[in-house]
Amino acid sequence: MNLYVLLIPILLPLIGGAVLPLFHFTERKHRQFYIGTVVLLNTIITFLLLCMRPEGSIVILNMAGRLEVALHVDGLGTVFAAIVAGLWPFATLYAFEYMKHEGKETKFFSFYTMTYGITMGIAFAANLMTLYMFYEMLTLITLPLVMHAMDKKSVRAGRKYVFYSIGGAAFAFIGFIFILIFGNMDFVYGGSLNMDLIGKREELLRLMYVFAVLGFGVKAAIFPFHGWLPSASVAPTPVTALLHAVAVVKAGAFAIIRITYYSFGTDFLYGTWAQQVILIFAMVTIVYGSSRAVKEQHIKKRLAYSTISNLSYIIFGAALMTPAGLIGSLTHMVFHAVMKITLFFCVGAIMYKTHREYVSEITGFGKKMPVIMACFTISSLAVIGIPPLAGFISKWNLASAAAENGTVLSIIGIGCLLLSALLTAIYLMTIVVRAYFPSRDFNMEKIADVEDPNWLMKLPILVLSIAVIGFGIYAVPLMNFFAKIAAGLI
Amino acid sequence: MELVQNFPFFNIVMCLASGVIASILSGKNARRLSIGLVSVVGIMSTCVLGYVLKTGEFYTYMMGHHPAPWGNEIRVGVLEASMALFFCIIMLLCLLGGSKYIAQDIEESKLNLYFVMINLMLSSLLALVYTNDLFNAYVFVEINTIAACGLIMIRNNGKSILSATKYMIMSSLGSGMLLIGISMLYDLTGHLLMSNIKESVATIAANGEYTVPLTVVIGLMCVGLAIKSALFPFHSWLPDAYGNSTASSSAILSSLVSKAYIFLLIKIFYRVIGLHVMIDHKITNTLFAFAIVGMIMGSISAMKQHDVRRLIAYSSVAQIGYIYMGIGLGTTAGMVAAVFHIMSHSASKSMLFIAARGLSEVSGNSKDFKDLKGAGYRNKIAGIAFAVGAFSMVGIPLFAGFTSKVYFAEAAITASPKKMFIAMIALAISTILNAVYFIRATISIYTPRNEHFNDPNFKLAFTFRVALVLFIILNFFLGIGSYPIAQAIEKGLAMFS
Amino acid sequence: MNSNYMILLPVLLPVIAGLLIPVIKPLNNRNARNYYVIGIIALTGIFTVFVASLGDIHLSLWKMTDSLEIYFKVDGMGRLFAVLTAAMWLMSAIFSKEYMKHEHDESRYFAFFVSTLGVLVGLCFSGNLITMYVFYEFMTLLTLPLVLHELTKGSIAAGVKYLFYSMTGAFLGLGGFFFLSQYADTLTFTEGGVLNMTKVAGHEGLLLAVVFFMILGFGSKAGMLPLHGWLPTAHPVAPAPASAVLSGNITKMGVLAIIRVVYYIVGADFIRGTWVQYAWMGVALATVFMGSMLAYKEQILKKRLAYSTVSQVSYVLFGLSLLNVTGMTGALLHVVFHSVVKNALFLTAGAIIYKTGKTKVSELTGIGKEMPVMMWCFTLVSVTLVGIPPTSAFISKWYLGLGSLETGISVFSWLGPVVLLVSALLTAGYLITISIKGFFPGADYDYSSLTKQEPKAVMVVPVVILTVVAVVCGMFPNSLISFMSSLAGTIL
Repeated sequence: MNLYVLLIPILLPLIGGAVLPLFHFTERKHRQFYIGTVVLLNTIITFLLLCMRPEGSIVILNMAGRLEVALHVDGLGTVFAAIVAGLWPFATLYAFEYMKHEGKETKFFSFYTMTYGITMGIAFAANLMTLYMFYEMLTLITLPLVMHAMDKKSVRAGRKYVFYSIGGAAFAFIGFIFILIFGNMDFVYGGSLNMDLIGKREELLRLMYVFAVLGFGVKAAIFPFHGWLPSASVAPTPVTALLHAVAVVKAGAFAIIRITYYSFGTDFLYGTWAQQVILIFAMVTIVYGSSRAVKEQHIKKRLAYSTISNLSYIIFGAALMTPAGLIGSLTHMVFHAVMKITLFFCVGAIMYKTHREYVSEITGFGKKMPVIMACFTISSLAVIGIPPLAGFISKWNLASAAAENGTVLSIIGIGCLLLSALLTAIYLMTIVVRAYFPSRDFNMEKIADVEDPNWLMKLPILVLSIAVIGFGIYAVPLMNFFAKIAAGLI
Repeated sequence: MELVQNFPFFNIVMCLASGVIASILSGKNARRLSIGLVSVVGIMSTCVLGYVLKTGEFYTYMMGHHPAPWGNEIRVGVLEASMALFFCIIMLLCLLGGSKYIAQDIEESKLNLYFVMINLMLSSLLALVYTNDLFNAYVFVEINTIAACGLIMIRNNGKSILSATKYMIMSSLGSGMLLIGISMLYDLTGHLLMSNIKESVATIAANGEYTVPLTVVIGLMCVGLAIKSALFPFHSWLPDAYGNSTASSSAILSSLVSKAYIFLLIKIFYRVIGLHVMIDHKITNTLFAFAIVGMIMGSISAMKQHDVRRLIAYSSVAQIGYIYMGIGLGTTAGMVAAVFHIMSHSASKSMLFIAARGLSEVSGNSKDFKDLKGAGYRNKIAGIAFAVGAFSMVGIPLFAGFTSKVYFAEAAITASPKKMFIAMIALAISTILNAVYFIRATISIYTPRNEHFNDPNFKLAFTFRVALVLFIILNFFLGIGSYPIAQAIEKGLAMFS
Repeated sequence: MNSNYMILLPVLLPVIAGLLIPVIKPLNNRNARNYYVIGIIALTGIFTVFVASLGDIHLSLWKMTDSLEIYFKVDGMGRLFAVLTAAMWLMSAIFSKEYMKHEHDESRYFAFFVSTLGVLVGLCFSGNLITMYVFYEFMTLLTLPLVLHELTKGSIAAGVKYLFYSMTGAFLGLGGFFFLSQYADTLTFTEGGVLNMTKVAGHEGLLLAVVFFMILGFGSKAGMLPLHGWLPTAHPVAPAPASAVLSGNITKMGVLAIIRVVYYIVGADFIRGTWVQYAWMGVALATVFMGSMLAYKEQILKKRLAYSTVSQVSYVLFGLSLLNVTGMTGALLHVVFHSVVKNALFLTAGAIIYKTGKTKVSELTGIGKEMPVMMWCFTLVSVTLVGIPPTSAFISKWYLGLGSLETGISVFSWLGPVVLLVSALLTAGYLITISIKGFFPGADYDYSSLTKQEPKAVMVVPVVILTVVAVVCGMFPNSLISFMSSLAGTIL
């Protein structure tokens, strides 16, 4: 098979999105049809590619000698690509309805679709150069989406987002250069460092690893570089949901997994101070994110903080640097994506239909928005980690990987996971309880206007909620696949 | 001797001659002449480059057939030829892009004088690139200074005259120091031809004689050129000069004039004193230190600006810091990176200046960011070009800036550990700072506001459009296809010694 | 069809039937709903007994992942708890029929009430830790609406408190699973434990700490220190029939979880004689004492009963912590007796509230004259709970005391019985006094205002049945004792 087909899922949405303004669609329906076709087609192509899994990698571009832009499909990339490709059509469907009240739809969908292509580029990147390139492009292409409203608040949020991200990338760049000099840019499971070249500079390289992880960690919202994420929740909900719960932040986590397992290599890092530093960062973030979420009263921001905490679950798993840790990390990457996007969609639906944004305002919604609140409850329980929902499995995998590790830090890590689970219960269940059990003297007239949104919004939420349950109930094939990745087979 | 070998000499003479001719032409014709001249010189330089690449060797060319030590010599290698070509391209694009604004900013009667200056400028640039004679270099440095002053001043308002005076004073100081350095060197070695000086310096250094005078010489020459190329902290003249002149002038000044001096410095490093002697005299470390401070301070100053032109100007201070950092690393890799950055920065910076002018044109000729809001929608191509330039400055992959960042970082790693560490951190911090002001600027030109500047009759100049498109292409070319260029630079540097 | 699938019947039937209550239109009718609810619960009871009689069957339902399996198993312990739960549920349901008339949102109440039964039966029949955890969490979630049913500010706050305490406890338990899964070959419940000692070697300290935290965690549901805080808040605010099962049965699920962890996963031998055992005993005794003290001081009847639960369930936990057959027998007996008695007490309290609206102990002067049958039952079960021979709780406490002496642990062997005795005295103090005041209101009682307030038969009958059971069990305890001791013998 000609490997140039790998370009299709990247270029199709890029071009499809870029030419959108040229069509001058007069009717919303036509534009929706066009965007829908592009996105769906791309998802189908992506999944076909993932099923066929072409061997080898292909160099698209050679810049400056060893800097090559190359693509391939490997196990880890498959996971990320599948998350993105699986969720994008839902998010698009949801956005069709949601964006009606935000305006500037052409611009929005143009960038939204282009982001799809860039994200696929990250998934299919065969070397660090390509990953870094798409990573930076992702920042820039999503910037207009964050600033969509273009008012003072969103522009400030957008600036914050881009400064944090580029700043992070600047430090990741240091790691990138070191890999360029002392290793191989291509991703090889187990690492690609050339030990002869390194000689006595091992500690230096570990320091650079820490730099690189923290650099990429900015996108993955590691404390104290998380500040952009809650601010960025001013963006339209499809953006917050898809980008700040799935594509962008997961790209950060994905990059961390890549450099840990595929560039620096776990043999080089396991048991060293570098690992411990990353573990500590992850643990602090886990607890910090959850605690802030408890305090936060704006629902979307609360979810943003929850995302911060949950992303560090992924990083924690990755930083355990064992196959089991990688499995846990990947599990949470997939499951958190599905759960969190559902939560964001529900909150978006609430904001869209009722213009209420604060926790205190959703009292009694359980009766008025039965579908949305039911899905919200299911996903909340999943995020907390109630079996047999998806979140439990990822938490189980992460924590038993940590227990298997058995070091002091990993045991503390389990404590952090549990504490965070409890805090998660607090910040999510209070919403659920409030929605379903308004106190007796609550005047239901106040929320007489509240009702479920139409099917364009409900359908994605429902399907995703079912996925949350389904993944939890039957995750065997997925786990087998992850096990294969962690064994370095694919 | 082949005909091609004569081209560099012809080019210099042609430029001088057309300077004279332009003075009697009308403004329009002078412009045509200049653009034609730059194109012809560019084509000829391409031939020269092709020739040098083909033979794989440099050649020296005696002007007037007087052998050394009496005659003037020019020397052509891969690096010189590519620099000449590159300077021509940038010069051409700057003139094309800024031509409408030149006509706007400058009085009709003085228009031809502007092009006289341009022609003289090109001749001095070429001479600086090609010359193998230190005194000759000095002569053209002075020509260059005067031409540059003219380019600044010709706008003929209070601010530009003040800036030009400032520039003149600082620049003369630099020239003076260079001259003293050259005289002392002549005193030490008895030569003015670069190759000869190098031999004598090598013996002097090997014998351990005249260490202090040699240090003084090196110091004088470096500081002189540093002042002229606006290395921090000698940059005070720069923001005014770049900010107040017409767009083409700022573009040319920032991307060519200061770069030519840096190129001369590199030449002195390799061809006159010798890299090892330089390193032994710790001059690289000194430059490195100033460069790092410059990288950071330049950006910090830029962050405070509300004036788009001054912002870009201050960014130049930071970028020149990058180049000096490459030189200061004292390795071949660092030098390659520095030379590459000369190119990539020239390409981006001149584009930014031209684009910024285009943006202020649609914002009531204001340079303030408040008025520039939404300018990216009013002048689309300028907006895109500004964004591309900004991304390049920040170092986003695929753009020119990224590639030079990679070269710098690679060079830094192979340098001594201390320098490596400082350089890496400085690179990272400066990237962040660049992002802060450039991305902020880009966001603000795309923030829709100032609808009152919308002018339905506004039409973009065709040349402006073409120039910017070419600039963008050039930027991507430097970003993506940098490999052959880097190889050429490496080859050229190898030919230097 | 494989007869093993029968296990699912008593689990799924009430869950599905319960959740259908708000959906099915005809059930909006109160009578229809009441018969439906009682019918379903009775049916579930029958199925439970039927499944229990099938012998040691097990069912591997499906695997979530390779290490996480949903697995059911019917064993002696499960049978005991399942049958007990189903029986109590039926009593409470019959009582609810009348009681819930004065509450609102009946259909919501019954929906969760019925589903909870299924979850509890599932919890009893769980065959491994994961399955148990699944049901454990759902138990919390499904009982939450029962707790905050009144929807007053206070009850919602109580519900949230309940939720977070339970979650904290459950997460502490869950944290233990992660470690146990590393050191055990399987997480299936097996008598004597499943730890792989070769894997454990070198990590004993860690594992002991883990076990201790798990006991504390699951102890939260059982109202053991230090996570008992929710119980006195949450139980009283629920409607009385719900308080009855919450106190009588849900707390026992915490006990069951601890039994499962200690005796079926870790193995009693692993913690016998370690600090974990001593600490556990200490915590249990402290809870016993503290609960009685607080109950004694408490003036609101339902709260007093709740504190009493805190104290009594820790009798059970103390018995378990002894780690010998006698103690275990006593503990299991006390599970049954306390469950029966506490249901009866709460239902009586409910009847009082229903008929008179009185909640404070001080208001109950002369209540015995107003509703004599109810108060007679109340008195009888109180006496039983205090442990005056020959009532049932006497037997269980006797075994607990014996077991305590048997351990031979210097301090606890005598401290245990002493605390139990003191607590029994306090129990008498806080329960019998109510009866005394109820029946002997004193000379200044205004007999003219006396009205007969005996509630309807549907409320009286369950209480009477429970009382009879409590008394009869005390008089003819032999078969029960032998069942318990043989059960205890199999796992120790």
